[in-house]
Amino acid sequence: MPAGAWAVPFAVGEGSLRERNREEASGTQDPTVRGLMAERSLGRIDDTLLVREAQRGNRAAFEELVRHYDQAVLRLAMHLTGSEHEAQDIYQDAFLKAYKSVGNFRFECSFYTWIYRIVTNLCLDHLRKKQVRKEEAPVATDPTGESYDLLEQVPDGRAGANPERDLMRRELGGRIGKALEKLTPRERMVFELRHYHGLKLRTVGEVLNTTEETAKNTLFRATQKLRGALADMR
Amino acid sequence: MKCEWVKENILLYVYNELPDDARYELEQHLARCGDCTAELKSARKFNALLSELPVEEPSPNLVASSRMRLQEALETTQQGGLWQRLVFDPGAWLRQVRFAPALAAAIFIVGFAGGVGATYKLVNNGGGASPVASGTSLPAQASVMGIQSISQEPGSNQVTIKYNTVSTQEAQGSLNDQRIQQLLLFAARNNYNSGVRMDSVDLLTQQPNDTHVREALIYALRYDSNPGVRLKALDGLGAYVKSDPRVRDAVLEGLLNDSNPGVRTEALHLLEPVRADSSVRAVLQRLAENDSNQYIKAQARNVLSQLPEFD
Repeated sequence: MPAGAWAVPFAVGEGSLRERNREEASGTQDPTVRGLMAERSLGRIDDTLLVREAQRGNRAAFEELVRHYDQAVLRLAMHLTGSEHEAQDIYQDAFLKAYKSVGNFRFECSFYTWIYRIVTNLCLDHLRKKQVRKEEAPVATDPTGESYDLLEQVPDGRAGANPERDLMRRELGGRIGKALEKLTPRERMVFELRHYHGLKLRTVGEVLNTTEETAKNTLFRATQKLRGALADMR
Repeated sequence: MKCEWVKENILLYVYNELPDDARYELEQHLARCGDCTAELKSARKFNALLSELPVEEPSPNLVASSRMRLQEALETTQQGGLWQRLVFDPGAWLRQVRFAPALAAAIFIVGFAGGVGATYKLVNNGGGASPVASGTSLPAQASVMGIQSISQEPGSNQVTIKYNTVSTQEAQGSLNDQRIQQLLLFAARNNYNSGVRMDSVDLLTQQPNDTHVREALIYALRYDSNPGVRLKALDGLGAYVKSDPRVRDAVLEGLLNDSNPGVRTEALHLLEPVRADSSVRAVLQRLAENDSNQYIKAQARNVLSQLPEFD
Protein backbone atom coordinates (compact mmCIF):
# COMPACT_ATOMS: atom_id res chain seq x y z
CA MET A 1 0.00 0.00 0.00
CA PRO A 2 1.45 3.35 -0.98
CA ALA A 3 2.25 5.40 2.08
CA GLY A 4 1.37 8.70 0.52
CA ALA A 5 -2.29 7.93 0.05
CA TRP A 6 -3.19 7.69 3.67
CA ALA A 7 -0.78 9.83 5.54
CA VAL A 8 -2.94 12.91 5.13
CA PRO A 9 -6.59 12.01 5.49
CA PHE A 10 -6.29 9.72 8.45
CA ALA A 11 -5.04 10.49 11.87
CA VAL A 12 -3.14 7.58 13.30
CA GLY A 13 -3.45 7.47 17.03
CA GLU A 14 -0.25 8.40 18.83
CA GLY A 15 -0.65 5.27 20.88
CA SER A 16 0.21 2.93 18.03
CA LEU A 17 3.90 3.75 17.75
CA ARG A 18 4.54 3.44 21.47
CA GLU A 19 2.52 0.24 21.60
CA ARG A 20 4.63 -1.28 18.87
CA ASN A 21 7.90 -0.40 20.58
CA ARG A 22 6.72 -2.05 23.74
CA GLU A 23 5.97 -5.22 21.85
CA GLU A 24 9.31 -5.27 20.04
CA ALA A 25 11.28 -4.86 23.24
CA SER A 26 10.25 -8.26 24.49
CA GLY A 27 12.29 -10.17 21.88
CA THR A 28 12.24 -13.91 22.41
CA GLN A 29 10.10 -13.45 25.47
CA ASP A 30 7.47 -12.32 23.05
CA PRO A 31 4.21 -13.49 24.59
CA THR A 32 2.56 -14.03 21.25
CA VAL A 33 5.25 -16.35 20.01
CA ARG A 34 5.55 -18.00 23.39
CA GLY A 35 1.84 -18.60 23.30
CA LEU A 36 2.10 -19.99 19.81
CA MET A 37 5.04 -22.15 20.79
CA ALA A 38 3.14 -23.52 23.75
CA GLU A 39 0.81 -25.08 21.22
CA ARG A 40 3.69 -27.00 19.72
CA SER A 41 2.68 -30.17 21.50
CA LEU A 42 -0.24 -30.30 19.11
CA GLY A 43 1.88 -30.09 16.02
CA ARG A 44 3.65 -27.50 13.95
CA ILE A 45 2.72 -23.90 14.41
CA ASP A 46 0.77 -22.71 11.45
CA ASP A 47 3.09 -20.85 9.11
CA THR A 48 0.33 -18.43 8.21
CA LEU A 49 0.18 -17.10 11.73
CA LEU A 50 3.92 -16.83 12.03
CA VAL A 51 4.12 -15.02 8.71
CA ARG A 52 1.47 -12.52 9.81
CA GLU A 53 3.31 -11.96 13.03
CA ALA A 54 6.59 -11.58 11.20
CA GLN A 55 4.97 -9.07 8.88
CA ARG A 56 4.06 -7.02 11.91
CA GLY A 57 7.71 -6.84 12.79
CA ASN A 58 7.84 -9.70 15.26
CA ARG A 59 11.36 -11.02 14.91
CA ALA A 60 10.80 -13.99 17.20
CA ALA A 61 8.04 -15.18 14.89
CA PHE A 62 10.32 -14.83 11.89
CA GLU A 63 13.04 -16.81 13.63
CA GLU A 64 10.56 -19.56 14.39
CA LEU A 65 9.58 -19.59 10.72
CA VAL A 66 13.22 -19.90 9.78
CA ARG A 67 13.51 -22.99 11.94
CA HIS A 68 10.76 -24.62 9.89
CA TYR A 69 12.71 -24.27 6.69
CA ASP A 70 16.37 -23.85 7.35
CA GLN A 71 17.42 -27.48 7.19
CA ALA A 72 15.79 -27.88 3.77
CA VAL A 73 17.49 -24.70 2.59
CA LEU A 74 20.89 -25.83 3.81
CA ARG A 75 20.43 -29.25 2.29
CA LEU A 76 19.62 -27.76 -1.09
CA ALA A 77 22.43 -25.21 -1.02
CA MET A 78 24.96 -27.77 0.21
CA HIS A 79 24.16 -30.26 -2.51
CA LEU A 80 24.17 -27.63 -5.19
CA THR A 81 27.39 -25.88 -4.23
CA GLY A 82 29.23 -28.83 -2.74
CA SER A 83 30.52 -26.56 -0.02
CA GLU A 84 29.32 -26.02 3.52
CA HIS A 85 30.62 -22.50 3.56
CA GLU A 86 28.95 -21.45 0.34
CA ALA A 87 25.76 -23.11 1.51
CA GLN A 88 25.88 -21.01 4.64
CA ASP A 89 26.31 -17.87 2.57
CA ILE A 90 23.28 -18.72 0.49
CA TYR A 91 21.35 -19.50 3.67
CA GLN A 92 22.24 -16.13 5.14
CA ASP A 93 21.37 -14.20 2.00
CA ALA A 94 18.10 -16.06 1.53
CA PHE A 95 16.74 -15.53 5.00
CA LEU A 96 17.87 -11.93 5.21
CA LYS A 97 16.13 -11.29 1.93
CA ALA A 98 13.04 -13.03 3.21
CA TYR A 99 13.10 -10.95 6.39
CA LYS A 100 13.38 -7.71 4.50
CA SER A 101 10.60 -8.51 2.06
CA VAL A 102 8.18 -10.56 4.16
CA GLY A 103 6.01 -7.46 4.23
CA ASN A 104 5.39 -7.89 0.52
CA PHE A 105 4.28 -11.46 0.85
CA ARG A 106 0.60 -11.51 0.00
CA PHE A 107 -0.19 -15.20 0.45
CA GLU A 108 -0.70 -15.61 -3.28
CA CYS A 109 1.38 -18.78 -2.97
CA SER A 110 2.42 -20.81 0.03
CA PHE A 111 5.27 -19.56 2.17
CA TYR A 112 7.07 -22.77 1.35
CA THR A 113 7.02 -21.91 -2.36
CA TRP A 114 8.02 -18.31 -1.62
CA ILE A 115 11.06 -19.32 0.39
CA TYR A 116 12.11 -21.90 -2.17
CA ARG A 117 11.80 -19.23 -4.83
CA ILE A 118 14.17 -16.93 -2.97
CA VAL A 119 16.70 -19.68 -2.37
CA THR A 120 16.45 -20.96 -5.94
CA ASN A 121 17.11 -17.51 -7.36
CA LEU A 122 20.19 -17.19 -5.19
CA CYS A 123 21.33 -20.62 -6.33
CA LEU A 124 20.81 -19.60 -9.95
CA ASP A 125 22.93 -16.51 -9.33
CA HIS A 126 25.60 -18.71 -7.81
CA LEU A 127 25.53 -21.06 -10.80
CA ARG A 128 25.74 -18.19 -13.26
CA LYS A 129 28.65 -16.64 -11.45
CA LYS A 130 30.40 -19.98 -11.45
CA GLN A 131 29.82 -20.30 -15.18
CA VAL A 132 31.46 -16.96 -15.80
CA ARG A 133 34.35 -17.83 -13.53
CA LYS A 134 34.81 -21.09 -15.30
CA GLU A 135 35.15 -19.40 -18.61
CA GLU A 136 37.87 -17.15 -17.26
CA ALA A 137 39.38 -19.61 -14.83
CA PRO A 138 42.92 -20.86 -15.12
CA VAL A 139 42.81 -24.43 -16.23
CA ALA A 140 45.45 -27.09 -15.82
CA THR A 141 45.81 -30.68 -16.91
CA ASP A 142 46.26 -33.50 -14.46
CA PRO A 143 48.44 -36.56 -15.07
CA THR A 144 45.58 -38.51 -16.65
CA GLY A 145 45.07 -35.79 -19.20
CA GLU A 146 41.89 -34.42 -17.75
CA SER A 147 41.63 -30.70 -17.42
CA TYR A 148 40.54 -29.28 -14.13
CA ASP A 149 39.73 -25.89 -12.74
CA LEU A 150 42.65 -24.62 -10.69
CA LEU A 151 40.38 -22.60 -8.44
CA GLU A 152 38.46 -25.68 -7.39
CA GLN A 153 41.60 -27.23 -6.00
CA VAL A 154 42.19 -24.45 -3.51
CA PRO A 155 41.37 -25.88 -0.10
CA ASP A 156 38.83 -24.02 1.92
CA GLY A 157 40.81 -22.75 4.87
CA ARG A 158 37.96 -20.92 6.50
CA ALA A 159 36.67 -21.97 9.86
CA GLY A 160 33.90 -24.52 9.70
CA ALA A 161 35.10 -26.10 6.45
CA ASN A 162 35.61 -29.81 6.35
CA PRO A 163 38.31 -30.62 3.85
CA GLU A 164 38.04 -34.38 4.21
CA ARG A 165 34.37 -34.27 3.58
CA ASP A 166 34.73 -32.07 0.54
CA LEU A 167 37.46 -34.29 -0.87
CA MET A 168 35.41 -37.43 -0.45
CA ARG A 169 32.49 -35.87 -2.18
CA ARG A 170 34.71 -34.74 -4.98
CA GLU A 171 35.95 -38.28 -5.62
CA LEU A 172 32.62 -40.05 -5.42
CA GLY A 173 30.53 -37.45 -7.03
CA GLY A 174 33.23 -36.12 -9.29
CA ARG A 175 31.88 -37.63 -12.44
CA ILE A 176 28.37 -36.65 -11.65
CA GLY A 177 29.36 -33.20 -10.50
CA LYS A 178 31.15 -32.63 -13.77
CA ALA A 179 28.18 -33.84 -15.74
CA LEU A 180 25.85 -31.57 -13.78
CA GLU A 181 28.06 -28.63 -14.57
CA LYS A 182 27.35 -29.16 -18.24
CA LEU A 183 23.75 -28.17 -17.69
CA THR A 184 22.54 -24.62 -17.98
CA PRO A 185 21.75 -23.02 -14.60
CA ARG A 186 18.02 -23.45 -15.12
CA GLU A 187 18.37 -27.07 -16.22
CA ARG A 188 20.54 -27.71 -13.22
CA MET A 189 18.04 -26.14 -10.85
CA VAL A 190 15.08 -28.07 -12.27
CA PHE A 191 16.99 -31.30 -12.09
CA GLU A 192 18.30 -30.57 -8.62
CA LEU A 193 14.89 -29.73 -7.24
CA ARG A 194 13.06 -32.64 -8.88
CA HIS A 195 15.62 -35.41 -8.64
CA TYR A 196 17.59 -34.63 -5.54
CA HIS A 197 15.04 -32.84 -3.43
CA GLY A 198 11.83 -34.51 -4.49
CA LEU A 199 9.82 -31.44 -5.35
CA LYS A 200 6.90 -32.13 -7.64
CA LEU A 201 7.25 -30.64 -11.11
CA ARG A 202 4.30 -28.43 -10.38
CA THR A 203 6.09 -26.90 -7.42
CA VAL A 204 9.29 -26.62 -9.42
CA GLY A 205 7.33 -24.61 -11.97
CA GLU A 206 5.96 -22.30 -9.29
CA VAL A 207 9.35 -21.86 -7.70
CA LEU A 208 10.94 -20.91 -11.00
CA ASN A 209 7.98 -18.73 -11.98
CA THR A 210 7.10 -20.82 -14.96
CA THR A 211 4.67 -23.56 -15.92
CA GLU A 212 4.71 -27.21 -14.99
CA GLU A 213 4.95 -28.00 -18.71
CA THR A 214 8.11 -25.92 -19.09
CA ALA A 215 9.60 -27.55 -16.01
CA LYS A 216 8.82 -30.96 -17.53
CA ASN A 217 10.55 -30.10 -20.79
CA THR A 218 13.54 -28.69 -18.95
CA LEU A 219 13.77 -31.89 -16.95
CA PHE A 220 13.74 -33.95 -20.14
CA ARG A 221 16.51 -31.87 -21.64
CA ALA A 222 18.59 -32.03 -18.49
CA THR A 223 18.19 -35.79 -18.21
CA GLN A 224 19.15 -36.30 -21.84
CA LYS A 225 22.26 -34.17 -21.42
CA LEU A 226 23.25 -36.01 -18.27
CA ARG A 227 22.78 -39.42 -19.81
CA GLY A 228 24.92 -38.33 -22.70
CA ALA A 229 27.61 -36.92 -20.42
CA LEU A 230 27.73 -39.96 -18.15
CA ALA A 231 27.51 -42.54 -20.92
CA ASP A 232 31.06 -41.93 -22.06
CA MET A 233 32.39 -41.58 -18.54
CA ARG A 234 32.16 -45.24 -17.70
CA MET B 1 2.50 -45.82 -31.25
CA LYS B 2 2.11 -47.00 -27.75
CA CYS B 3 5.78 -47.69 -27.22
CA GLU B 4 6.64 -44.18 -28.26
CA TRP B 5 4.20 -42.71 -25.78
CA VAL B 6 5.49 -44.99 -23.05
CA LYS B 7 9.12 -44.14 -23.74
CA GLU B 8 8.29 -40.42 -23.61
CA ASN B 9 6.66 -40.86 -20.25
CA ILE B 10 9.05 -43.28 -18.58
CA LEU B 11 10.87 -40.42 -16.94
CA LEU B 12 7.69 -38.99 -15.45
CA TYR B 13 6.70 -42.46 -14.33
CA VAL B 14 9.94 -42.96 -12.53
CA TYR B 15 9.42 -39.69 -10.67
CA ASN B 16 5.84 -40.59 -9.90
CA GLU B 17 4.59 -37.56 -11.77
CA LEU B 18 2.10 -39.33 -14.00
CA PRO B 19 -1.62 -38.93 -13.30
CA ASP B 20 -3.25 -42.13 -12.09
CA ASP B 21 -4.87 -43.12 -15.38
CA ALA B 22 -1.69 -42.61 -17.39
CA ARG B 23 0.30 -44.51 -14.80
CA TYR B 24 -2.12 -47.41 -15.02
CA GLU B 25 -1.95 -47.52 -18.81
CA LEU B 26 1.79 -47.41 -18.74
CA GLU B 27 2.04 -50.28 -16.27
CA GLN B 28 -0.37 -52.31 -18.33
CA HIS B 29 1.82 -51.79 -21.39
CA LEU B 30 5.01 -52.65 -19.53
CA ALA B 31 3.56 -55.99 -18.54
CA ARG B 32 3.34 -56.88 -22.22
CA CYS B 33 6.34 -55.14 -23.74
CA GLY B 34 9.92 -56.26 -23.22
CA ASP B 35 11.40 -53.30 -25.03
CA CYS B 36 9.77 -50.75 -22.84
CA THR B 37 10.50 -52.73 -19.72
CA ALA B 38 14.16 -52.61 -20.67
CA GLU B 39 13.80 -48.87 -21.10
CA LEU B 40 12.38 -48.61 -17.59
CA LYS B 41 15.26 -50.63 -16.21
CA SER B 42 17.71 -48.36 -17.92
CA ALA B 43 16.03 -45.26 -16.56
CA ARG B 44 16.07 -46.66 -13.04
CA LYS B 45 19.71 -47.64 -13.37
CA PHE B 46 20.56 -44.14 -14.41
CA ASN B 47 18.75 -42.70 -11.42
CA ALA B 48 20.67 -45.03 -9.15
CA LEU B 49 23.89 -43.84 -10.71
CA LEU B 50 23.01 -40.28 -9.86
CA SER B 51 22.85 -41.09 -6.20
CA GLU B 52 26.63 -41.35 -6.20
CA LEU B 53 26.31 -37.68 -5.41
CA PRO B 54 24.10 -38.14 -2.39
CA VAL B 55 22.14 -35.41 -0.70
CA GLU B 56 23.56 -34.97 2.74
CA GLU B 57 21.84 -33.74 5.83
CA PRO B 58 23.39 -30.58 7.20
CA SER B 59 25.24 -31.35 10.41
CA PRO B 60 23.69 -30.02 13.63
CA ASN B 61 26.79 -27.90 13.98
CA LEU B 62 26.23 -26.27 10.64
CA VAL B 63 22.58 -25.64 11.35
CA ALA B 64 23.31 -24.11 14.71
CA SER B 65 26.09 -21.86 13.48
CA SER B 66 23.99 -20.74 10.51
CA ARG B 67 21.14 -19.83 12.82
CA MET B 68 23.40 -17.86 15.11
CA ARG B 69 24.93 -15.97 12.26
CA LEU B 70 21.49 -15.13 10.93
CA GLN B 71 20.27 -14.01 14.30
CA GLU B 72 23.17 -11.58 14.62
CA ALA B 73 22.42 -10.14 11.22
CA LEU B 74 18.72 -9.83 11.95
CA GLU B 75 19.47 -7.70 14.97
CA THR B 76 20.84 -5.00 12.77
CA THR B 77 18.44 -5.38 9.88
CA GLN B 78 15.39 -3.27 9.36
CA GLN B 79 12.42 -4.80 7.70
CA GLY B 80 11.49 -3.06 4.48
CA GLY B 81 8.72 -0.54 4.65
CA LEU B 82 8.76 -0.56 8.43
CA TRP B 83 7.44 2.96 8.61
CA GLN B 84 4.75 2.04 6.18
CA ARG B 85 3.68 -0.80 8.38
CA LEU B 86 3.73 1.30 11.49
CA VAL B 87 1.20 3.56 9.89
CA PHE B 88 -0.89 0.96 8.12
CA ASP B 89 -0.63 -2.08 10.27
CA PRO B 90 -4.11 -3.56 10.28
CA GLY B 91 -3.89 -4.96 13.80
CA ALA B 92 -2.69 -1.73 15.32
CA TRP B 93 -5.04 0.31 13.17
CA LEU B 94 -8.07 -1.68 14.19
CA ARG B 95 -7.07 -1.67 17.82
CA GLN B 96 -6.52 2.03 18.14
CA VAL B 97 -9.70 3.06 16.47
CA ARG B 98 -12.34 3.45 19.15
CA PHE B 99 -12.02 0.08 20.76
CA ALA B 100 -12.41 -0.89 24.34
CA PRO B 101 -9.31 -2.90 25.23
CA ALA B 102 -11.42 -5.92 26.03
CA LEU B 103 -12.94 -5.92 22.59
CA ALA B 104 -9.53 -5.51 21.01
CA ALA B 105 -8.29 -8.55 22.89
CA ALA B 106 -11.32 -10.50 21.78
CA ILE B 107 -10.74 -9.65 18.15
CA PHE B 108 -7.08 -10.52 18.38
CA ILE B 109 -7.92 -13.88 19.86
CA VAL B 110 -10.51 -14.58 17.23
CA GLY B 111 -8.19 -13.52 14.48
CA PHE B 112 -5.02 -15.30 15.56
CA ALA B 113 -5.82 -17.91 18.12
CA GLY B 114 -8.12 -19.36 15.55
CA GLY B 115 -5.21 -20.95 13.79
CA VAL B 116 -2.72 -21.58 16.56
CA GLY B 117 -0.65 -24.64 15.88
CA ALA B 118 -2.73 -25.31 12.78
CA THR B 119 -5.50 -26.14 15.17
CA TYR B 120 -8.30 -24.17 16.59
CA LYS B 121 -9.47 -24.69 20.10
CA LEU B 122 -13.16 -25.12 20.16
CA VAL B 123 -14.15 -24.60 23.73
CA ASN B 124 -17.64 -25.69 24.42
CA ASN B 125 -19.31 -22.80 26.20
CA GLY B 126 -21.03 -24.82 28.86
CA GLY B 127 -24.80 -24.60 28.78
CA GLY B 128 -24.79 -22.83 25.46
CA ALA B 129 -28.16 -22.26 23.89
CA SER B 130 -26.86 -23.48 20.56
CA PRO B 131 -28.62 -26.52 19.20
CA VAL B 132 -26.39 -29.42 18.33
CA ALA B 133 -27.72 -31.99 15.93
CA SER B 134 -28.21 -35.29 17.67
CA GLY B 135 -25.49 -37.77 16.90
CA THR B 136 -22.85 -35.10 16.55
CA SER B 137 -20.96 -35.15 19.79
CA LEU B 138 -18.41 -32.44 20.17
CA PRO B 139 -15.65 -33.20 22.64
CA ALA B 140 -15.01 -30.46 25.17
CA GLN B 141 -11.90 -29.46 23.34
CA ALA B 142 -11.60 -30.32 19.69
CA SER B 143 -8.88 -29.31 17.28
CA VAL B 144 -9.84 -27.87 13.93
CA MET B 145 -7.25 -28.45 11.25
CA GLY B 146 -9.09 -26.34 8.69
CA ILE B 147 -12.47 -25.46 7.33
CA GLN B 148 -13.57 -27.75 4.55
CA SER B 149 -16.80 -26.26 3.38
CA ILE B 150 -19.60 -24.02 4.44
CA SER B 151 -23.19 -24.18 3.36
CA GLN B 152 -26.37 -22.52 4.38
CA GLU B 153 -29.79 -24.00 4.21
CA PRO B 154 -31.61 -21.74 1.78
CA GLY B 155 -34.08 -19.39 3.36
CA SER B 156 -33.03 -20.13 6.91
CA ASN B 157 -30.59 -19.30 9.60
CA GLN B 158 -29.13 -22.77 9.71
CA VAL B 159 -25.53 -23.13 8.67
CA THR B 160 -23.55 -26.27 8.17
CA ILE B 161 -19.79 -26.01 8.36
CA LYS B 162 -17.52 -28.91 7.60
CA TYR B 163 -14.20 -28.62 9.34
CA ASN B 164 -11.36 -31.10 9.68
CA THR B 165 -9.90 -32.47 12.86
CA VAL B 166 -8.41 -35.90 12.68
CA SER B 167 -11.54 -36.80 10.75
CA THR B 168 -13.93 -34.42 9.14
CA GLN B 169 -16.58 -33.12 11.46
CA GLU B 170 -19.54 -30.88 11.22
CA ALA B 171 -20.76 -28.00 13.21
CA GLN B 172 -24.34 -27.13 12.81
CA GLY B 173 -26.05 -24.18 14.25
CA SER B 174 -27.60 -20.87 13.53
CA LEU B 175 -25.71 -17.80 12.47
CA ASN B 176 -26.11 -16.51 15.98
CA ASP B 177 -24.24 -19.44 17.40
CA GLN B 178 -20.93 -18.23 18.70
CA ARG B 179 -19.20 -21.39 17.58
CA ILE B 180 -20.45 -20.95 14.06
CA GLN B 181 -19.36 -17.35 14.05
CA GLN B 182 -15.91 -18.22 15.30
CA LEU B 183 -15.52 -20.81 12.59
CA LEU B 184 -16.73 -18.42 9.94
CA LEU B 185 -14.30 -15.78 11.05
CA PHE B 186 -11.50 -18.31 11.03
CA ALA B 187 -12.45 -19.45 7.55
CA ALA B 188 -12.68 -15.94 6.16
CA ARG B 189 -9.11 -15.21 7.13
CA ASN B 190 -7.28 -18.45 6.99
CA ASN B 191 -8.59 -20.78 4.39
CA TYR B 192 -6.45 -21.46 1.33
CA ASN B 193 -9.49 -22.25 -0.73
CA SER B 194 -11.01 -19.06 -2.07
CA GLY B 195 -14.35 -20.79 -2.50
CA VAL B 196 -14.57 -21.51 1.20
CA ARG B 197 -13.46 -18.00 2.03
CA MET B 198 -16.14 -16.70 -0.29
CA ASP B 199 -18.80 -18.80 1.40
CA SER B 200 -17.79 -17.67 4.83
CA VAL B 201 -17.66 -14.01 3.84
CA ASP B 202 -21.03 -14.45 2.20
CA LEU B 203 -22.52 -15.73 5.44
CA LEU B 204 -20.80 -13.09 7.46
CA THR B 205 -22.40 -10.39 5.33
CA GLN B 206 -25.70 -11.46 6.82
CA GLN B 207 -24.56 -10.29 10.20
CA PRO B 208 -22.53 -7.14 9.73
CA ASN B 209 -23.94 -5.68 12.90
CA ASP B 210 -21.52 -7.73 14.90
CA THR B 211 -18.23 -5.84 15.34
CA HIS B 212 -16.10 -8.96 14.96
CA VAL B 213 -17.86 -9.70 11.73
CA ARG B 214 -17.30 -6.21 10.46
CA GLU B 215 -13.62 -6.55 11.28
CA ALA B 216 -13.48 -9.73 9.27
CA LEU B 217 -15.24 -8.14 6.32
CA ILE B 218 -12.91 -5.17 6.40
CA TYR B 219 -9.97 -7.52 6.62
CA ALA B 220 -11.25 -9.53 3.66
CA LEU B 221 -11.75 -6.36 1.64
CA ARG B 222 -8.23 -5.27 2.36
CA TYR B 223 -6.24 -8.45 2.19
CA ASP B 224 -8.03 -11.25 0.43
CA SER B 225 -6.21 -12.25 -2.70
CA ASN B 226 -9.37 -13.15 -4.55
CA PRO B 227 -11.32 -10.22 -6.04
CA GLY B 228 -14.58 -12.14 -5.81
CA VAL B 229 -14.18 -12.44 -2.08
CA ARG B 230 -13.31 -8.75 -1.81
CA LEU B 231 -16.42 -7.83 -3.76
CA LYS B 232 -18.51 -9.99 -1.47
CA ALA B 233 -17.04 -8.23 1.52
CA LEU B 234 -17.87 -4.87 -0.07
CA ASP B 235 -21.45 -6.07 -0.48
CA GLY B 236 -21.74 -6.65 3.19
CA LEU B 237 -20.08 -3.42 4.19
CA GLY B 238 -21.89 -1.10 1.82
CA ALA B 239 -24.81 -0.28 4.05
CA TYR B 240 -22.49 0.82 6.86
CA VAL B 241 -20.44 3.29 4.92
CA LYS B 242 -22.42 6.18 6.29
CA SER B 243 -22.74 5.08 9.90
CA ASP B 244 -19.32 3.57 10.48
CA PRO B 245 -16.22 5.62 9.65
CA ARG B 246 -14.01 2.53 9.79
CA VAL B 247 -16.07 0.99 7.01
CA ARG B 248 -15.95 4.21 5.06
CA ASP B 249 -12.16 4.31 5.40
CA ALA B 250 -11.76 0.70 4.34
CA VAL B 251 -13.95 1.20 1.28
CA LEU B 252 -12.06 4.38 0.46
CA GLU B 253 -8.84 2.47 0.70
CA GLY B 254 -10.25 -0.14 -1.65
CA LEU B 255 -11.19 2.55 -4.13
CA LEU B 256 -7.68 3.91 -4.12
CA ASN B 257 -5.60 0.79 -3.95
CA ASP B 258 -7.41 -2.30 -5.08
CA SER B 259 -5.86 -4.02 -8.04
CA ASN B 260 -9.19 -5.03 -9.50
CA PRO B 261 -11.16 -2.34 -11.37
CA GLY B 262 -14.45 -4.07 -10.61
CA VAL B 263 -13.81 -3.78 -6.90
CA ARG B 264 -12.78 -0.15 -7.29
CA THR B 265 -15.89 0.73 -9.26
CA GLU B 266 -18.14 -0.90 -6.71
CA ALA B 267 -16.30 0.92 -3.94
CA LEU B 268 -16.84 4.22 -5.72
CA HIS B 269 -20.55 3.61 -5.97
CA LEU B 270 -20.83 2.63 -2.35
CA LEU B 271 -19.16 5.87 -1.30
CA GLU B 272 -21.71 8.16 -2.88
CA PRO B 273 -23.74 8.64 0.31
CA VAL B 274 -20.65 10.03 1.98
CA ARG B 275 -19.18 11.91 -0.92
CA ALA B 276 -19.35 15.15 1.04
CA ASP B 277 -16.91 13.91 3.69
CA SER B 278 -13.60 15.73 3.44
CA SER B 279 -11.48 12.60 3.19
CA VAL B 280 -13.71 11.15 0.51
CA ARG B 281 -13.65 14.38 -1.41
CA ALA B 282 -9.86 14.54 -1.23
CA VAL B 283 -9.62 11.06 -2.70
CA LEU B 284 -12.20 11.77 -5.39
CA GLN B 285 -10.31 14.85 -6.44
CA ARG B 286 -7.12 12.88 -6.75
CA LEU B 287 -8.83 10.24 -8.81
CA ALA B 288 -10.51 12.80 -11.03
CA GLU B 289 -7.14 14.28 -11.83
CA ASN B 290 -4.78 11.34 -11.95
CA ASP B 291 -6.38 7.98 -12.21
CA SER B 292 -5.21 5.75 -15.03
CA ASN B 293 -8.58 4.05 -15.32
CA GLN B 294 -10.75 6.25 -17.51
CA TYR B 295 -14.03 5.03 -16.18
CA ILE B 296 -13.05 5.67 -12.58
CA LYS B 297 -11.70 9.08 -13.50
CA ALA B 298 -14.94 10.01 -15.21
CA GLN B 299 -17.06 8.67 -12.40
CA ALA B 300 -15.06 10.52 -9.79
CA ARG B 301 -15.52 13.74 -11.73
CA ASN B 302 -19.20 13.01 -11.99
CA VAL B 303 -19.63 12.51 -8.27
CA LEU B 304 -17.61 15.61 -7.50
CA SER B 305 -19.69 17.71 -9.84
CA GLN B 306 -22.74 16.83 -7.80
CA LEU B 307 -21.24 18.39 -4.71
CA PRO B 308 -21.91 21.98 -3.79
CA GLU B 309 -18.76 24.09 -3.92
CA PHE B 310 -17.13 24.62 -0.56
CA ASP B 311 -14.31 26.99 0.01
